[in-house]
Amino acid sequence: MILVTGGAFEGKKEYVASRFQIAAEEMADGEHCSWQEIASCRCLYHFHLLVRRMMQNGEDPFDLCDLLMEENPNVIIVTNELGYGIVPMERFDREYREKCGRICCELAKEANEVHRVVCGIGEVIKHA
Amino acid sequence: MFIVITGGSGSGKSAFAEEQILRLSSDQRIYIATMMCFDEESKRRIARHRQMRKEKHFETIECYTGLEKLQLPEGATVLLECMSNLTANEMYDPSGAGEQTVERILEGVCHLRDTAKHVCVVTNEVFSDGQMYDPDTMRYLAYLGKINCEMAKIADEVYEVVYGIALRKKGGEKL
Repeated sequence: MILVTGGAFEGKKEYVASRFQIAAEEMADGEHCSWQEIASCRCLYHFHLLVRRMMQNGEDPFDLCDLLMEENPNVIIVTNELGYGIVPMERFDREYREKCGRICCELAKEANEVHRVVCGIGEVIKHA
Repeated sequence: MFIVITGGSGSGKSAFAEEQILRLSSDQRIYIATMMCFDEESKRRIARHRQMRKEKHFETIECYTGLEKLQLPEGATVLLECMSNLTANEMYDPSGAGEQTVERILEGVCHLRDTAKHVCVVTNEVFSDGQMYDPDTMRYLAYLGKINCEMAKIADEVYEVVYGIALRKKGGEKL
């Protein structure tokens, strides 16, 4: 598994498409996609929105990392790097960014590579 | 040794900071806790951190304001967590330094460095959500940003932690 992170609109998806030669139809959008797509895609982007969606539906995303490692161990996960702002006023927003961070720590631990993208330029910050 | 560790919320800063303390010394370890506890949520956060520190032999000292006056044993290894809370306390608490927050906190940091053998300070990246807040919150960002920059200048090592991965910003060995 490969984890790609970075701020919003930093060009993460384009970076992944060109670096790993992934076509648009091989990518699944965490905001809307089905479990089937999550299990079969080459790249899962908007991972943070998948976490958000699950929390909004009352599901606990805690096992998400284990689940992904089982179902799609070679997937490339693209997530916004959250948690670089002032503590949000709304409780849900606080829990969401906290949970997202913890899950991404788990993913980073499991990942063979972690890339961080700034201005469309990726830096490999972990290489197994 | 003075180490500054920064990163976003939920990035694994604390775990990395604790590792550094264990690496630095097996002598007396002191944890300076700065978070005031006013609700269930802060209680839970504190409990989580206490659980993480269990078995690591830290003595916990609470310090909400007035770091520059804190009584500390000489030669200990100290972890202060977190500068973002301490700054808010100094700014907003009646016992705090108010407009003198930056000066007072930097004085406090120097006091730690002079007294302890090793100091590790955890701070927080809160500057990148692109929001314009009320003037008071903007002032908080300015104060914390200034404190972070000044600490980094005098630090031996500075790290930014990204999802548990430490990025070396200043000094130290390649990890």
